[in-house]
Amino acid sequence: MADPGQAVALAAGEPPGATGHRISFRVGRDDSRFWIPVFLLPFLALYLGFTLWPLIATVIYSFFDWDGAQPLNQFIGIDNYTRILTDPLFWSAFRNTLLFAVLNTIIKLPLTLLAAVLLTRRWLLFKRFFRTVFFLPIILPVALSGLVFTYLLNPSNGALNSFLLEHGLLKQPVDLLGHDNTALLAVILISVWQIFGQYMLYWMAALQQVPEELYEAADLDGANERQKMFHVTLPLIRPVAVIITLLALVNALHVFGIIVTLTAGGPGRATYVVSYFIYTEAFREAPFKYGYASAAALIFAVLAFLFVSGQGLLARRAEQLRRQYGV
Amino acid sequence: MAVLSPPTAAIESLQRRPLRLRRTLRLNLIAIPLLLGVSFVWAYPFLWVVSTAFKTQLGAFTAGASLVPSPLVTTNFVRAWVGAAFSDFFANTVVYSVSSTLVELTKSAMCGYVLARYRFPGRDLLYKLIIATIFVPVASIIIPQFVLIQNLGLLHTRLGVVLAMSGGAGALYVLLFASYFEHLPQDLFDAARVDGADFIQTFRLMLPLARPIIAVVVIFQFIHSWNDFNIPLVFTLGQPSLQNLAVGLQAFHGSHSLDWAGFAAGMTISFIPVLIVFVAFQGYFVRGLSGAIKG
Repeated sequence: MADPGQAVALAAGEPPGATGHRISFRVGRDDSRFWIPVFLLPFLALYLGFTLWPLIATVIYSFFDWDGAQPLNQFIGIDNYTRILTDPLFWSAFRNTLLFAVLNTIIKLPLTLLAAVLLTRRWLLFKRFFRTVFFLPIILPVALSGLVFTYLLNPSNGALNSFLLEHGLLKQPVDLLGHDNTALLAVILISVWQIFGQYMLYWMAALQQVPEELYEAADLDGANERQKMFHVTLPLIRPVAVIITLLALVNALHVFGIIVTLTAGGPGRATYVVSYFIYTEAFREAPFKYGYASAAALIFAVLAFLFVSGQGLLARRAEQLRRQYGV
Repeated sequence: MAVLSPPTAAIESLQRRPLRLRRTLRLNLIAIPLLLGVSFVWAYPFLWVVSTAFKTQLGAFTAGASLVPSPLVTTNFVRAWVGAAFSDFFANTVVYSVSSTLVELTKSAMCGYVLARYRFPGRDLLYKLIIATIFVPVASIIIPQFVLIQNLGLLHTRLGVVLAMSGGAGALYVLLFASYFEHLPQDLFDAARVDGADFIQTFRLMLPLARPIIAVVVIFQFIHSWNDFNIPLVFTLGQPSLQNLAVGLQAFHGSHSLDWAGFAAGMTISFIPVLIVFVAFQGYFVRGLSGAIKG
């Protein structure tokens, strides 16, 4: 449980244990006894209703055979779990989700960092214009960019195939979304395109944290751009980089909209992901299987949590080793 | 030659500036064509959407990769806005985005402030819970949220959608606010106390100082809710009059799958407001985010 928390505390620039040192017990006339609960109420009410209770309820539902309409009285023990653990569709969805998250992260993080570095260079002209262009895709609802790409990649008259055929780069039209081995990759790349601006901004914010004096000092020592990058910038943004990586992984694990509109999990099961599995089981076809979907959601939440906090642990371990050996 | 040339120091100072200029020019000459090329590919889907919005329905099908609408028509916008009720989707999206942003902002600023500056029973537990649940995936808790909204009698109402959209999120925003308020200098609070400010007065003094965090929360939550798909989809199933642009356009595409021009016109309408928000607040965005990391 500690790791994502650690990450966020890092994001906030302090270790989690450090909170509450400079607490003021009294501010002015002490009417805080009255106001503290009032200030907490809006968050607490929504948090209890829409985060904590749903987590608990998911656990409860997962032990029932329930369609949401009947009363919740068909207790079936761990049946849902045993069925899911042997449901090949769930496991292909799980495999695809992990593959999607990892590849998506591996592709988008270096590219967005590169873009952020380039678009914060002082010598570059028209920065605002280029930043806006790279940010553009994010203002398009994810689900809709999926639809646009179904057209652009359409084998019969889509823009990509028309272009490639006209210029003799292809003899036969390709159906990127129609083949098992290219569909997931196409979805990953489209998702990178879509989310690019957000991570570029994260990196740009991180780069702003590096004090200008350090670059000036490096200049005096005659460091070139590459040396400044590897010996000043990257080491200094490392803590933020860990958080950006975790965020990237978590967000990628939630992939949903783009799958619904681009491929609906197909062809076959090539792009079936867990959130789509949950949605389909729970809401798409009557009879709704709330219990079954809840069990799937829970298993997924636990596995995803282990996966992500595993990354966090690894990052922290690496950091410790680095400090230990002074490299 | 040596006799005629001016002192070396003067030459250097004369040459340094042109040299730097020349270097800047050279770097730009390499970078800009490269960036323009990538930008064109990057923006192509957008250019395609905007140009298709001005094509005829037949033209949209036969244009291939071309971005030039011929003949150029504007009837798609009318068809999308009036005929396909995009105006409703648009209004819904505005309502959802603005309300959920306001809810997020209010609750996270208030909670973050109290968490940072006051001690109360259960405070550490609350902190730990928030941190532990920050990465809970939406998909895994959407069923109980749905059941809760149903039991509250809010299913198929706008309030229900707004509650669902702003209820689950926000833990990260609370932490951002908490960390920011905690790092405000104690002197400020002491001064307020000396002046006899009570709780609310102190809060009203401190809130404007958190402008960078407010900017981050507003922009993030606004864009997130403008584009949100999973929650609106589940909470407005079978209720077209409540759907937002993302869900409505997807449904429109399902039932009018041949009307690409109308679809493109609807999309063009849908992304213009966000584009304006981004271009207007671009500077704030990076600075605010940077402030958020610094805490």
